[in-house]
Amino acid sequence: METERKLVQWRNEGLLDQAAFDRILAFEKRQPQKRKVPLLLVIGLIFFALAVFSFIAANWQLIPDLLKVAMVVLLMWIFYILAYFSEKKHFGRPIIFRLLGLAMFAASILVTAQTFHFSTSNSVLPWAIYIAALAHYFYWRHFAYAVVAFIFGISTLMSFLPQAGWLEWGIFIAVALAWFFFSKDNAPMIFSWMLLFFSGLMLWNLVEYNSPFWPVWTLFALVLLLIIIPADKQRLLSPLYLVFGAIMLVVYLAVRGETEMSLVDLNWPESIALAVTGLVVLVVAYIKFRPVMWIALLGAMGFLLFDETAIALAIVAELSALAYLIIAQRQDKPLALGFIYFIVVQFVIYVIYAWERLDMSLFFLIGALLLFALSGIAWWLNRKREGVSP
Amino acid sequence: MKTWLLPILMTVFVAILVTSFYAASWFGDQYMLRAEPYDPFDPFYGEYVMLQYPDLEAPSGIKDGPIYFTLKEEADGYAVIDRMENEPFFGAISGTTYDNRVVAPQLEQYYVEQGLGPDLEDAVDLQVTIDVSPWGTIRPINLEVRDE
Repeated sequence: METERKLVQWRNEGLLDQAAFDRILAFEKRQPQKRKVPLLLVIGLIFFALAVFSFIAANWQLIPDLLKVAMVVLLMWIFYILAYFSEKKHFGRPIIFRLLGLAMFAASILVTAQTFHFSTSNSVLPWAIYIAALAHYFYWRHFAYAVVAFIFGISTLMSFLPQAGWLEWGIFIAVALAWFFFSKDNAPMIFSWMLLFFSGLMLWNLVEYNSPFWPVWTLFALVLLLIIIPADKQRLLSPLYLVFGAIMLVVYLAVRGETEMSLVDLNWPESIALAVTGLVVLVVAYIKFRPVMWIALLGAMGFLLFDETAIALAIVAELSALAYLIIAQRQDKPLALGFIYFIVVQFVIYVIYAWERLDMSLFFLIGALLLFALSGIAWWLNRKREGVSP
Repeated sequence: MKTWLLPILMTVFVAILVTSFYAASWFGDQYMLRAEPYDPFDPFYGEYVMLQYPDLEAPSGIKDGPIYFTLKEEADGYAVIDRMENEPFFGAISGTTYDNRVVAPQLEQYYVEQGLGPDLEDAVDLQVTIDVSPWGTIRPINLEVRDE
């Protein structure tokens, strides 16, 4: 009706002739009508579902153990069957039904744990959902499963704590690597890369030696991945290396500037080994993938952390931010991330060196923030004007 | 058929998980342990009683950290440690010890009906019945107030 009213309006205004009007109307009438489920039926179904669930909840303790688990598994099957018919008969969204099925799988493990007083301090539940979500992803190739797999991948890693084991860690890496190599889309590749990076942080728990550099070692190790993947995937992942490298540099700067670093073992042999590896990364990146070269700077971290004032680290952070911005602008590359890094570095340096003279420096901080805001507005207006002119 | 493969595998997984608990009862031995409660709620799983066991003490010579132990029944009907090692052995329940206190993940918590947790906490003297499989897994069967 709405279409017809609009068409009449356009015809009366002379925007459409009668022939076009008739053709559009005939086309619209041929389109299949959307069947709407009556509102009362929807409300009724919701209330019925609520009644069923509250009945089950009220009698939960009286239901035999096996039946409790069987009921949730049955619910899981109902959702998968609905997904199947939703695909065949074109109603609803199959992905929603399958995600609900996956959620019911998780619920069935939760119910099993509760029914059999199974300890929750283990990794069975996150592992099961992580693997199930990955299997869903590889079968249906939908982004939503990749998101679920990523979330439960992180949850699986966290469940290794407080006492991670080498075998489980190794299996996790093998699974994440398999996901990385067999992913066809960009997002799952990024997700699996991040899982690989985060699993590197587990070394703090796995190894007795408290190195401050596990994140750097992990990032350097992940450079090996770049060597064996095709060029388009290298371009996809390069920003990740830079972003994670930049975050690390800022975190090291903040930690060195603000703490005594008494919890880690800082020593020369590891610092030298890190510097040598950094040089190797520099050479390999220079030959094969230059945008990633920046992370080689982290190789110097071993030496920079010895400086308790963190001034050397601050200078490196400042210079690298400036150099990146200048080079990126010359090469006409996006500046946004570099600019954010630059601002974050300023803030961290500011907090480290000016915190104790806050009252005095607050005046300058507000001035600087105003200047940033004004220059941002000016840049935006300028860009808008440029965009309008031919 | 391929469409149904994943739900089938997921069902098999849950079935194996459930069977592993029943297997402890089918093939294992039953023990009763003196228990004391603390801390009673979990947002996901509902109400439960965290348990500690006054009779389970690490013998001298056992280092703090991971431990492996078996149980035996005493004359009064309650179970105590039979054998404890720092290295794994077949049939052992795995746990950890710190300052002579023994903790095993499968013995730590018992889910109870909503509202029952505080009563059990107040009672303090409790007893837990468990089935222990020959390969060292546990299925808690019952938690009740101890009459002594």
